Amino acid sequence: MDVREFRAGVQAWIDEVGQTLVPDLDDQSVDAQLNHQRRVQRSLFDAGWMRWGWPARIGGLGGSPILRAVLGEELTSRALVHTTSWSMHEVLGPAVAEFGPPDLVADIFPLLLRGEEFWCQGFSEPEAGSDLGSMRTTARQHRGGWVINGEKLWTSWAHHATRCVVLARTGGRGSRGISAFLVDMDTPGVTAKPVETMAGVDEFCSTSFVDVEVPAPRLLGELDAGWRVAQFILSCERGAIFWQRGAWLAHHLGLLLDDAAAGRSPAALGEAYQLLWAFRATSKDTQARIAEGQLPGPEASVDKIMIAAADQAVFDTARELLCGAIETEDTARSLAWRREWAYSRAATIYGGTSEIQKDIVASRLLGLPRSA
Amino acid sequence: MTDADTIDAAERDLMVVTLRSLAEELDGTELEQGLDAFGFTDLLAEAPCDAVSALFTALGRAGSIATSLQDVLRQPLAEYLPVATTEYNVVLPGIGAELVGTAESAGLAVRGLVIGAREATTFLAPVAIQGELSWVRLVASAGIGARRVKGLDPALGIIEVTGADVTADVMVAGERAVAAWDAVATAGRLALGYQILGAVDRMIELAVDHARNRVQFGQPIGSFQAVRNRLADAHVAREGAAAALSAAWEADDAVLAGLLAKSLAGRAARIAAMQCQQVLAGIGFTAEHPFHRFMARALVLDSVLGSATELPAAIGARLISAGSIPRLVEL
Repeated sequence: MDVREFRAGVQAWIDEVGQTLVPDLDDQSVDAQLNHQRRVQRSLFDAGWMRWGWPARIGGLGGSPILRAVLGEELTSRALVHTTSWSMHEVLGPAVAEFGPPDLVADIFPLLLRGEEFWCQGFSEPEAGSDLGSMRTTARQHRGGWVINGEKLWTSWAHHATRCVVLARTGGRGSRGISAFLVDMDTPGVTAKPVETMAGVDEFCSTSFVDVEVPAPRLLGELDAGWRVAQFILSCERGAIFWQRGAWLAHHLGLLLDDAAAGRSPAALGEAYQLLWAFRATSKDTQARIAEGQLPGPEASVDKIMIAAADQAVFDTARELLCGAIETEDTARSLAWRREWAYSRAATIYGGTSEIQKDIVASRLLGLPRSA
Repeated sequence: MTDADTIDAAERDLMVVTLRSLAEELDGTELEQGLDAFGFTDLLAEAPCDAVSALFTALGRAGSIATSLQDVLRQPLAEYLPVATTEYNVVLPGIGAELVGTAESAGLAVRGLVIGAREATTFLAPVAIQGELSWVRLVASAGIGARRVKGLDPALGIIEVTGADVTADVMVAGERAVAAWDAVATAGRLALGYQILGAVDRMIELAVDHARNRVQFGQPIGSFQAVRNRLADAHVAREGAAAALSAAWEADDAVLAGLLAKSLAGRAARIAAMQCQQVLAGIGFTAEHPFHRFMARALVLDSVLGSATELPAAIGARLISAGSIPRLVEL
């Protein structure tokens, strides 16, 4: 399937059924958001669009991964899905498809695509944020399998997830002694508790693992090579996820154009749009590299810095142009804006802080020496 | 962009190397002759994206000047003006101005800049006559002053064209004049954007080189996070400008893409100027070190055809009047 043909097909499909997929602003709970997401994914799966860009061996219909970025763009640019929940299958899907046991993946991947399963990511810990390599969660061998103990933080959607990719220490200190596991969330000893954030959406969780038994085949990739899986997962975020978040930001900027206040601050609109365009123009090349099967590499740290800047600029502009809606209004519309604005505050923090990204740029792209 | 507008990768590489070495080895009149011998104007007609990106980045990197901006500005004009445009220099609006001049009832007042002036004593300028955009021909003898600007960047060789009450022939007015100005300004913005980008590259290279070699507190200063973050910021701004320039050639709204590319290039110039100068510290403040020349070049060019502070407002106004957020390019 050619990209243009795919985009035209998706657009025609949305024109036909899109009205039935518009989310209800009156219920902005996580439950409602995820129920909506399931419904949209199911419709897209049945129509085939959800399966393009994934290999046939895991239930896909083949084609370039670019198709997935296009699908996300067409959906988020019309706000038919929320950009954060739409990212779920893209965060972990590619890594599980790459490193997971083929039989299991063939069974569960269609469930992920159809919205019957959500997967979450157990990376960060209370004491291991930017310094992910210092994580303390352990996996020790036990009766031919593994036993995991530890606590993870910022596990998005963990309380609604079926499975979790958990990074745990299997060897010595640092990033070389870490392995990745695919853990079923209904395993005894796994507890996910939502963390309340300033965005008012209980998407993030604190997830504890107490003597959680994991069968041997659930090791993803090689033993002690979990860092590679983690790098792979983080690099996947630079693909379709960034592209559709850019479209989500463009959609929100577009909503501001109708506002009477827009005419008073064209410069703020133009500034936000140009930062978004800098990202989009840069990301277009990154998408092409990913589609060719390359890992995005240190260059994608630039994309991350750019989209975070654009994200905050868009919602700062919204706060300015909406003249008090974010600060003092209590309508469904203002609640949605308030949450988006608050969420954008984390854009320079999640997925590797801007400081970590700048450090990568400095060392790997500019060739500056690391600290002695 | 059609296939006819591009050249193959091997040809492009060779062309980039040739243009870069011309821009590095020659300057001024000699460079002009070298580019004529190379056949730059033919290349410009055949493959504008390759020609403009290669030459203007090279000019920015080398800090040299040539008359090529006039070639770039004249090319789109030929379609709209009933004269051989090679006999003229195109005048750009003065810094901060939208057009070169205005006339209400009588008496045209002009103030504009010629960059890369060829030997020619007549000028073509976009002006507003009773509120209508018009292209006029100005003759040096008819009350027009032409002054070679020293200013912040004397080596750029800008000519300032001024006149208080000048006689001018209107060449084209109304919608066609607007279309001509959009095309000329867009071509100019892209060329200047690449020239700025080349200067930004050199500012970053000079600062990175310094940060790797300059030792303080027993370490290269490039190992300190405060320094690393500054240079990373400059690099990210540079990459955004480069991507916007490159994508502008395939964007479905060329004028908007030109505004964005120039604005982002100017923004990168400002960020690189600030961050790199701070990293270079004392040595970068001396006349002996080449940094200040690239900084001056980039900042002066930022101010021409809309600066990084002026253009976002123009971009925002276009979005408001269009009522939508254009994607500009698709995957």
